[in-house]
Amino acid sequence: MLTKKLKIGIVCPYSWDIPGGVQAHIRDLTEFLIASGHTVSVLSPAIDEDALPEYVISAGKPIAIPYNGAVARVLFGPIAFARVRQWITQGEFDLLHLHEPAIPSLSLLACWAADGPLVGTFHAAAKRQKIIFAIGPILEPAIEKLNARIAVSEAARSTLTEHLETDAVVIPNGIYAKRYAKGTPQAKWQGNTIGFIGRFEEPRKGLAVLLEALPIIARFAPDIRVFVAGPGDSEEIKKSIDPQLLPRFEFLGRISEEEKADFVASVAIYVAPNTGGESFGIILAEALAGGATVVASDIPAFDSLLGGGEFGALFESENPTELAKVIIDLLRNDQKRTELALAGKEHAQIFDWDVVAEQIFSIYEMSMVGSNGVSLAKDHRSWNRLLNRSVEDK
Amino acid sequence: MKTTLAILGFVLIFLWYLSFSATRLDRLHHRVETSWANLDGLLQRRAAIALEIARSDIADPASSLLLTAAAYQAREARLEYRSQAESGLSGALGLLLADGQSNARAAEKALLTELSALTDKIRIAIALHVDAVTSTHNVRSKVIFRVFRLAGTAPLPVTYEFETDVL
Repeated sequence: MLTKKLKIGIVCPYSWDIPGGVQAHIRDLTEFLIASGHTVSVLSPAIDEDALPEYVISAGKPIAIPYNGAVARVLFGPIAFARVRQWITQGEFDLLHLHEPAIPSLSLLACWAADGPLVGTFHAAAKRQKIIFAIGPILEPAIEKLNARIAVSEAARSTLTEHLETDAVVIPNGIYAKRYAKGTPQAKWQGNTIGFIGRFEEPRKGLAVLLEALPIIARFAPDIRVFVAGPGDSEEIKKSIDPQLLPRFEFLGRISEEEKADFVASVAIYVAPNTGGESFGIILAEALAGGATVVASDIPAFDSLLGGGEFGALFESENPTELAKVIIDLLRNDQKRTELALAGKEHAQIFDWDVVAEQIFSIYEMSMVGSNGVSLAKDHRSWNRLLNRSVEDK
Repeated sequence: MKTTLAILGFVLIFLWYLSFSATRLDRLHHRVETSWANLDGLLQRRAAIALEIARSDIADPASSLLLTAAAYQAREARLEYRSQAESGLSGALGLLLADGQSNARAAEKALLTELSALTDKIRIAIALHVDAVTSTHNVRSKVIFRVFRLAGTAPLPVTYEFETDVL
């Protein structure tokens, strides 16, 4: 395994400097591939072009468009298309790995411009959207160029089959399970505590559900405390919290990777009340690897990640009473809580990068059979042949 | 004059579209070929491993005979009968592995791990190939591709109906 050294080009659709699941996935995958000796170049939009790691090449500043219940910072247009073509020509890649090629982004442009081994990873899970009917015929010729399609979860896969009538191989997102296993419990976060990580201002992250459930939980567990970590303006949220419950909340702001490992190892319960729009739930996998007892809403992505409740407790999405019930039950039953955490920690090993990257790499190998690298697409081969211009063909 | 120009413009755009579509289909045929080459290579390797297992100590004489026959059949089958033959080999391997795992020694263990790693790869390779074939079928069944014979003389790719549950 991992013997032949490759030149791989990866395209990131979203702005590199905005934290997000796709970007984190690409960063970890790239670093893993570089560590195993491959040459990797990542093309991505970026707001601050000076703060990029060595392997990232900026394609320009992104524009913000609303997409899938959040604001996506993506990039397209003629100038970006020229940059993509230039990057493909100069890179002389063996293979291109495009992330989220079905939304208007750099990835779609690269898919359009390139010929050769192409692998696409689909992250998003969304309900059937009408807009696809309009742009489907344009997407189809591009998407069908991909030699292999990867979906990060069953939810992402069914989104793909519904919208574009094409299938995909499911390979989960990767985490560095060992790093999280190293987290040491910190006394300040222990006790009857609930942890939450995420951009809490976004409604789909579901902090509001937890806020509604808290009065009920507090009745049964008077010493309950809630720690909320993640970027955002906590003052706004604090206004919406009942003043009596306010002292139980602590907003930690953005925390580092090491703190995250300690955090999930410390709290009694890690809660993910997301209301939707989630495709995989990388944070849940990380929390499991860190040995947390996880309580999550039963949206499809979380349901499949937690094995239908085997590796973490589930509650009916957007139902605060249910959430409170599940949390109180777990707080009272130490044995059940430990058992869940142990089962979860063991399960989380299948998301480790050692396992996941090997699966991705074997897809790379299969896509490259009988090819001699990525080149710019010649959309009218027959004309070129007719006019005797096939000389430039590889 | 104006109408002539408009018609000329339309014809040009239409010709461009035809050429674009022909290239698109050409690319799909290429994808079918490469994904088949990949799958074929993996299946050949599996047949080789099956033969090795048949000659090793895991297999009793009866299942050894069965396995050898199935492996040769899989190797020599023509494209149309290939999936049937491969399913037969999967079945033979499945029969053997159901009870053979326990008394395997180190050398045979290595063989079995290689086989299971290969099986995982074959499963993915099948998915990739089937996807390529289905897309090609879909595109070729569109009216414009049929009317203008954009597929040329390329044969319609054969669907590979592998029974994945046997693997």
